[in-house]
Amino acid sequence: MTTDAMNAVAPPAAVPVEARGLTKRFGPLTAVDRLSFTAPRGAITGFLGPNGAGKTTSLRMLLGLIRPSEGAAFINGRRYGDLPDPLRAVGAVLEASAAHPGRSARNHLRIHAMAGDVPGSEIERVLQVTGLDGAADRRVGEFSLGMRQRLGLATALLCDPDILILDEPANGLDPEGVRWLRQLLRGLAAEGRTVLMSSHILAEVAQTVDRVVIVDHGRLVAEAALPELTAGHDRGLEDAFLRLTGHAPEGPR
Amino acid sequence: MIRLVRIELLKLRTVRLPAGLLVTAAGLTALFACGNAYQAGRHGGSVGSLATAAGLRSVTTGTTWAMVLAAVLGVIIATGEFRHATATLTYLATPARGRVLAAKAIAAACAGALFGLVAAVIATGAGLGFAAARGDHGAHGARFALGAGTLAAHAGGAVLGAALLAALGAGLGSLVRSQLAGVVGVFVWALIVESVIGGIFTSARPYLPYTAATTLAGVQLGVGPGGVRVTVRTHPAVAAAAAPGPLPFAAAAALLAGTVIVVAIVARLTTVRRDVA
Repeated sequence: MTTDAMNAVAPPAAVPVEARGLTKRFGPLTAVDRLSFTAPRGAITGFLGPNGAGKTTSLRMLLGLIRPSEGAAFINGRRYGDLPDPLRAVGAVLEASAAHPGRSARNHLRIHAMAGDVPGSEIERVLQVTGLDGAADRRVGEFSLGMRQRLGLATALLCDPDILILDEPANGLDPEGVRWLRQLLRGLAAEGRTVLMSSHILAEVAQTVDRVVIVDHGRLVAEAALPELTAGHDRGLEDAFLRLTGHAPEGPR
Repeated sequence: MIRLVRIELLKLRTVRLPAGLLVTAAGLTALFACGNAYQAGRHGGSVGSLATAAGLRSVTTGTTWAMVLAAVLGVIIATGEFRHATATLTYLATPARGRVLAAKAIAAACAGALFGLVAAVIATGAGLGFAAARGDHGAHGARFALGAGTLAAHAGGAVLGAALLAALGAGLGSLVRSQLAGVVGVFVWALIVESVIGGIFTSARPYLPYTAATTLAGVQLGVGPGGVRVTVRTHPAVAAAAAPGPLPFAAAAALLAGTVIVVAIVARLTTVRRDVA
């Protein structure tokens, strides 16, 4: 089936996040190569791959920030740009430093509350959820990387979205922060929300996610429930990951 | 669209740079207006007596720094999003990038109008204050050499000119994305390029965007920021050719507004579509 033919078919509305034949070429380099996967409701999907595997490019294509060379990405069955109320559909954290360093955390959130048309009381809610309530009036430039990650999550949660797309959300968090993040995401998934998070901290992923999508060189190499993938491997996810991405010799199972 | 403009204005109010630029514009305007008013009518000075319309006008229309800095603010409004990686959040909230660009241009115009207003109040106040203090009255018993209508028209022109230049800055900033290149470009263009082009091709001078904006504010042709008359040595044959006068107000306004729209459309069709990585 050609890409055009695939695009013509309306995707099932039930799938919160779907990549369909996503391809992105930068000149001669194919960063993402005919990548298809889904992220279902009520689960945390880990999006894994070695550095340079095309994870960030794929997440940005899902969100309409990067235009696919071929294929398409759907959120709730629509392209991101066609969502009637995108901030209520999806909350995203793509880079922890996406805030003006001279602006206070509270003012940063005020701007996004206005963009998402949510009341100011929601700002206090997400500040509390992310533990930033004590630092809300400090300028973001004074924040540690971990605090900026929390601010990114606060921004993503501000409009109470059903889908969360997170690029390396555990980056810069201390062990307590990693545990807090895991509990937060597990709670959100338990509420029936969809979480898609990229990561390369496999030990953390193994404790957090329900299913994994593994990419290498822009291609899908595995999409499975976590127990399915790790069964029969001594060190579970790490073994499976290294075998699938071709970084470990095939040993006896 | 109104909400998008309000968001852009909230962004401007929650960082220090826009206010700092406004204070800088006010300070430069006051410095040059008072300096020019002080030396007005003095022997060997370049500014005529404040008792003459030309002399008073050269002080009260000293709003050009505010116009340059309004354009700089426009560039920063557009490029700051890429410098601080907030373009991602902005486009996630509003995937229709043309609407974001339009909102930025409108917000820039609002802020630029404030720059023009503040500068016009300062320059007019300095000119009239010095004239009153020195007893430099106008001819035929008039209190000042320029009437209230003329002063108000120049002030209104400064507001409109600064607003349009700020919107142009937002368009150019969207086009180049680089804050440094955009800001340096505005200064080089306003302070050097237009003087050189205008000096060599005098017939083209009234149609240059920064010059057109200063024409709105009543600035005489060939006067750069701070009231400094800029001259470029030209071939005598060229200089002898009759230099054209400034554009009429409506033509200058239409030219600038058209330039803003063309730059915004070019930006929309080129860099604004680009991937945000």
